[in-house]
Amino acid sequence: MASQTVPEGHVTVRTDPVPAEEAVVALHDMSLWYGDFQALHEVSLTVPKNRVTALIGASGCGKSTLLRCVNRMNDLVPGVRVEGRLAYEGVDLYDGAVDPVEVRRRVGMVFQKPNPFPKSVYDNVAFGPRLHGYQGDMDALVEKSLKSAALWDEVQDKLRQSGLGLSGGQQQRLCIARAMATDPDVILMDEPTSALDPIATDRIEELIHEIKRDYTVIIVTHNMQQAGRVSDRTAFMHLGVLIEEGPTEQIFTNPQHEMTERYVSGRFG
Amino acid sequence: MTKSPRSLARAAGLHKSGRRHLGERAIAALLFLAASVSIVTTLAVIVALSAETVAFFADPAVTFREFFTAREWTPLFPATQRVFGISPLIIGTLMVTSVALVVGLPLGLGSAIYLSEFASARTRRTVMPILEVLAGIPTVVLGYFALFFVTPILRDVVPGLNLFNPLSAGLVMGFMILPTISSISTDSMQAVPRSLREAGYGLGASRYEVVLKVVVPAALSGIVASFILAASRAIGETMIVTLAAGQKPTFTFDLRETIATMTSFIVQAATGDQPAGSIASRALYAVGATLFVMTLILNVVSQQVVRRFGERYE
Amino acid sequence: MSASPRQPSDAAARAGFGTPEERARLKRRKRIGRAFQALTAIPVVLALALIVTLFVDVITDTVSWQVVEPEESGVTWSFAEGARLGGTWEHLVRLELEARGEEPATVLDDPEERRKFRLRNRVELLWWVDGRPFRWAVTNSRDDTVDDVGLFRGLRERHEILAGLEDGQQLRLNPWFDAAFFRKNASRTPMMAGLQNALIGTLWVIGLVILIALPIGVGTAVYLEEYAADNRLTRFIEVNIRNLAGVPSIVYGILGLYAFVRLMNLGPTVLAAALTLALLILPVVVIASREAIKAVPSTLRQASYGLGATKWQTVSRIVLPNAVAGIVTGVILAVARAIGETAPLLLVGAAAFIPRAPDGPLSTYTVIPIQIYSWVAENDREFAHVASAGILALLIVLILLYVAAFWMRRRFERSW
Repeated sequence: MASQTVPEGHVTVRTDPVPAEEAVVALHDMSLWYGDFQALHEVSLTVPKNRVTALIGASGCGKSTLLRCVNRMNDLVPGVRVEGRLAYEGVDLYDGAVDPVEVRRRVGMVFQKPNPFPKSVYDNVAFGPRLHGYQGDMDALVEKSLKSAALWDEVQDKLRQSGLGLSGGQQQRLCIARAMATDPDVILMDEPTSALDPIATDRIEELIHEIKRDYTVIIVTHNMQQAGRVSDRTAFMHLGVLIEEGPTEQIFTNPQHEMTERYVSGRFG
Repeated sequence: MTKSPRSLARAAGLHKSGRRHLGERAIAALLFLAASVSIVTTLAVIVALSAETVAFFADPAVTFREFFTAREWTPLFPATQRVFGISPLIIGTLMVTSVALVVGLPLGLGSAIYLSEFASARTRRTVMPILEVLAGIPTVVLGYFALFFVTPILRDVVPGLNLFNPLSAGLVMGFMILPTISSISTDSMQAVPRSLREAGYGLGASRYEVVLKVVVPAALSGIVASFILAASRAIGETMIVTLAAGQKPTFTFDLRETIATMTSFIVQAATGDQPAGSIASRALYAVGATLFVMTLILNVVSQQVVRRFGERYE
Repeated sequence: MSASPRQPSDAAARAGFGTPEERARLKRRKRIGRAFQALTAIPVVLALALIVTLFVDVITDTVSWQVVEPEESGVTWSFAEGARLGGTWEHLVRLELEARGEEPATVLDDPEERRKFRLRNRVELLWWVDGRPFRWAVTNSRDDTVDDVGLFRGLRERHEILAGLEDGQQLRLNPWFDAAFFRKNASRTPMMAGLQNALIGTLWVIGLVILIALPIGVGTAVYLEEYAADNRLTRFIEVNIRNLAGVPSIVYGILGLYAFVRLMNLGPTVLAAALTLALLILPVVVIASREAIKAVPSTLRQASYGLGATKWQTVSRIVLPNAVAGIVTGVILAVARAIGETAPLLLVGAAAFIPRAPDGPLSTYTVIPIQIYSWVAENDREFAHVASAGILALLIVLILLYVAAFWMRRRFERSW
């Protein structure tokens, strides 16, 4: 566990900054407090469309907190205070006129531990669309979502069985399918494979590669090799501050900031 | 010369003290005796009910067929006119129980949802003792309330309502079972893990949708078990029905008429003058046995519901 | 600066999300959500309303207006003989009124006069001998009440009542729940009825119940938590206790009737009642004590064993002292339940009308809820007041017990 402090007023080191026209989500000076504890310090980050952006850093550096800002899941924690701007399609998501429920329809989330509902596979996937009044052919939508999550072949004749009866990796893919069924633009993944075995992890990483054609993915991971395999851009955080961000290859082979270099070479974290 | 382990131990002062060991075993035996009281109680209940019930059915005046199919219950009539058909009592019981469930189920579930999902911690801390107090009101007081407060009001509203009727009793009983349903359902809903709720929120569900479409279905087995348990308590309740529903066995489905329940008959039989061993007195045990079997079945079913259909969240 | 989310800005409101249909749909969902949340708060409000209404109803019923006359002291007894056990009231009243020199029709034909007659006179069956006619007594009560009117009706009709008073009559407010209430005993006359014997009876019965149920209940809990092996017998005992907790209280009454009153020939005595009620609350005591014992951290036990203590030493010196608060709370709540139980005692033969207080475990008795039941069952307006007074007394006792229990629970919650 790192005990290094971050100097006051650190300016994020950026390489190849993302041009505005490619951005889908842009954070400007986001700060967050849990009560008196400040978990995020003026983080600014631009996330490009149809790419995978990884957030890495030691435990407690704020990467999950940052992720949960994007779909306003932090609102559910009592005593949370947020400052800064989070732009999505030109709208500040933290503006008072914006409804978090709507935000979460467009920004899907996959959690660390697979959490399918105790319902059938079909009902799990159909849950989101039903909520939002989907009128079209539900069977087709369920099939399409399950295919996009590379799960269709394995469950196509088990659609009415409980989602809890699948293996861990299958459950996580079910959660991905469920998130995709609401047709979001952005999918947030909070350490999606940390509870899975290597083979299941592998399949999900493959999946991420495929879906980035149609979705923007932001993934939090503490596994650097995974970040290296899966993402296009990487952002490194420490103690709530965004230290450095840039193209993944560059972060891992030629980090510009010494702390980044120490983290990716495994000297702490 | 080799010394035995025991003598070695004795020499070192580490041997087991016989007296202390005996004392410990005596205490353990005493405690086991205390625990066995519960088993003896159950056996005693079964013996008490079955001995007299068997004697009841052994009497030539009683037949199984009449007991289960006849529509009259008149054990106090002279011997030539007596009929021992238990259906009026069962129907009376079920009428009161139905009204109680119609009132208590939505109220109990509603308050459970409110307490578990919407109320702040402070509200919860203030409200839960209130429900505990409601559960603690003696049923004789509730019977008084039903007879002297609820019935007069209902008689203004419902034409043809008798002074003793199952409607008033059922209404008040609904409030009596409210805390049972509420506390068990609240526990079930609180046991639903946070990750499931987060999944619901993550998909863009609003708060009430997470409650209604994720939490309640996930906690359903516990909720259903609470309903069954509440029904069992309503069936076994005595004072409210004795005071407010009546002691007149009637085969009717009209909620406005005076009826008798199994429990109110038992009270009537016990406070009357029948000598022990008479068939009228044995009828008391037969009805008691029926009541016991009904509530036992419901209690066991309720436990099985939780065991079989209890949600595994992992 | 400001908390999140911030004040709505026009830009964001205009930009908005989604199509107009989507936004309309979202608005509808939000509205449903708010309505649903309000709906679920209703049952709690109703429950509170019921409790408050109950209390107000009981309390206001313990006071009534009475029209009283100057002392017509004494009890007059007149005897009559009737042929049958039932249906003699009219016949006897007729005989009595004729004996007094009054015209029977004036009383018997007017419902109001009948009610007033009942207020001041009781018709009781004295005794009968086989083969002879039944002997009845018509008692003129000691009190001077002419009429009794409820609190609110009296307030509303005050003027009419005052106008209708005859010479020497007064209107007074009569509290039924006063100190005297606790010194009087059961009586056929409402004004003379009180709770004294019932109170003493309750104290006797509950005292014995605690004496019986506490050691057995706590002993069972200690056995199950500290001594029992995890085998089929233990599981059977646990399931058994859980089932016993769900048995209706009247079945315990039947058990008491069969086993204690008849089989053991104890008759309708305090001891039989105490045994019956003790069995009734036993599962509750066991379950509560188990929770309290389970809550004692195992680290304390480890420390005790590590110092060389035996099992019983550990239980008696470490576990039980630390579980006392939880056990006491559970016992208080169980006793509160036992105090209010009526049905089992009706079966076990609690008399509603005993001449003296119990003086030992083998005497006859009555308890507060039985007394209340008998007063309510009279279905008489004046006895309703007495019943309310009894209920008020009972509720006060229960409130005190509940407050004590909640206080204990909260105070010792933070031990760890």
